[in-house]
Amino acid sequence: MNCAECRENLVACVEGLLDREESLQCQAHLETCAACRAEHAAITRLQRQLMARSPATAGVSLVNPVMRRVQAMQTERERNSIMTKLFTRWGFGLGAAAGTAAIILIAFLVFPKAQATAAEVMTKGAQAVAKLTSIHLRGQLRTLPADNFSYINADCPFYTIEFWKQFEPDLKWRVEKPQRVVVADGQSTVMLIKNVGLAFKVPLSTTSAFDTQWLQRIANLSNTITNELNNALAKGWNMSLTNETGADGRAKDVVTIEAKSGLPDNDYLKNLYFNTADTRRMYVFDNQSEHLESVKIYLHAASGEKLIFELNQIDYNQPIDPGVWKLDLPADVSWWQNEMQKLPDNDKYASMTAEQTARAFFEACSQENWSEVEKFLRESPLDHLLKQELGGLEIIQIGTAFTSNASPDQFVPYKIKLKNGYDKELNLALRKDEPTGRWFVDGGW
Amino acid sequence: MDLTDKEYVERCRDGHQEDFRVLVDRYQKPLFAFLAGRLRDGRQVEEAAQESFVRAFLSLKKLRKPESFYSWLLGIGGRVAKEQLRSLKHRQQDCEVTESIMANAADRREDYPLEEAIAALPESYRQVILLRYYEGHSCQEIATRLELPLGTVTKTLSRAYALLRQELVARESAETTVNQTLLP
Repeated sequence: MNCAECRENLVACVEGLLDREESLQCQAHLETCAACRAEHAAITRLQRQLMARSPATAGVSLVNPVMRRVQAMQTERERNSIMTKLFTRWGFGLGAAAGTAAIILIAFLVFPKAQATAAEVMTKGAQAVAKLTSIHLRGQLRTLPADNFSYINADCPFYTIEFWKQFEPDLKWRVEKPQRVVVADGQSTVMLIKNVGLAFKVPLSTTSAFDTQWLQRIANLSNTITNELNNALAKGWNMSLTNETGADGRAKDVVTIEAKSGLPDNDYLKNLYFNTADTRRMYVFDNQSEHLESVKIYLHAASGEKLIFELNQIDYNQPIDPGVWKLDLPADVSWWQNEMQKLPDNDKYASMTAEQTARAFFEACSQENWSEVEKFLRESPLDHLLKQELGGLEIIQIGTAFTSNASPDQFVPYKIKLKNGYDKELNLALRKDEPTGRWFVDGGW
Repeated sequence: MDLTDKEYVERCRDGHQEDFRVLVDRYQKPLFAFLAGRLRDGRQVEEAAQESFVRAFLSLKKLRKPESFYSWLLGIGGRVAKEQLRSLKHRQQDCEVTESIMANAADRREDYPLEEAIAALPESYRQVILLRYYEGHSCQEIATRLELPLGTVTKTLSRAYALLRQELVARESAETTVNQTLLP
């Protein structure tokens, strides 16, 4: 590796994102080049300075108190002057109308008529739901009942997924699928994985936790529709409009968007998540109310097209039962920890390659040496399903690690014989971005 | 894909005041860190941060460059912190306590230009730095959230580091010049 290549890869190297060979090449170059070493030191110094911000700001949650004050002031202002109120109303209307006109005008100038008309429907749909106090969404997703909320798999059956969100006066939300539920009650955000009785807690009410971000985005419908339209226009996704009569006898506008992930077909993570998938998205708007009424998302896979997500109930501004914001935890619930501890013999593990780590992990499982197994995991307590499945296994083969463009993980192919006699052949996902410098198992067992 | 600061500011001005929530969410941590460099007490910092956001909201229509929302917010934050320190000085009977707070704030001065330097970054670089260090996202999570290839995120970070270092060096030398000028 020369200086230019080293400089180009320094950040990826510091972030632990290079594969083993590139990482070794980078380290070798740093050992022999004082200038690149100085650059490396400057980056890590700046990183440390930036990292030092995290502990002081970790629990900061100003959104709700600020918004309460903002809303109180707005109300006070409006109460004080009828004229202000009138001007504010007109201001809202004119501003929104100007924004709509701008988007429609751009769409008409740049795109064929069908796309421009679809853009118009989307823009009006976004405006129609711009002021929400609450929303309730219900649909179905091809997924695993206890897996991540964004996990999709065309081979899985459909499971119900439901989302409630209250925007005012406090931001609260709940997402639920059969074996996994998250509730943000305005104070904290808690997730329960029901089938293993494991709970996770973030000590603030946040909308970016537990892999629910895509649902959060959908719930902010006005933004979602606007963003979807902007994405389609910016990325050149095909967009079209058809007209139908709904089951209720009313006229419906159906906007279809062909979304592309940009990942090559042979990428390991292609089509595993929404943002790594190529999809056809159908948005059905009521022609009269302009409200979005349903969504269907079809996955484009090599084997053909398949419906993977359907939103068939959308309730706008309906009162939500306060019980929705309560999460009943089982009496014997385990609380999850996710900080890896440095080990007395940490260097021994930190010097292992991904393949050596995979082998050591499976050997520990084979011996049912669970304290050893925990050294390869970031989280505790140890998942009892892991014990059940991998205890007493026999290693048949460990392959060479490979990477994906869509993940910092390295994937080690393996073949093992399970205690129940079945062979299991999969890729163990390993990651190395914790301060301990050890590889840890990030999935795939 | 998230909207830019400019787009959110314009939406707030157009009456979507709920969208201000996104700007608070986006900048609450860096503003807090910035104010923590000026004020010692955590409660004071939180009060100052809330006050800064509220003032920013009320003055949004006066913001000439909506794309510079964050650096403008830091300016407001700096003024609010000064007012708090001044009012504390007037209120406190025990001058020693006040002096120690002021001295402490001065001691920490070397730390807070970092937020100002971040504010000076172009938005695409600033966004990645904020997500990485103030929101604690990994590079992969940032790539997913911004719908960018992982390589683009690391390259953006790399460029952001270079710009930040340049900015910090420039600020340091400007400060040295000022100090030297002020010295007898």
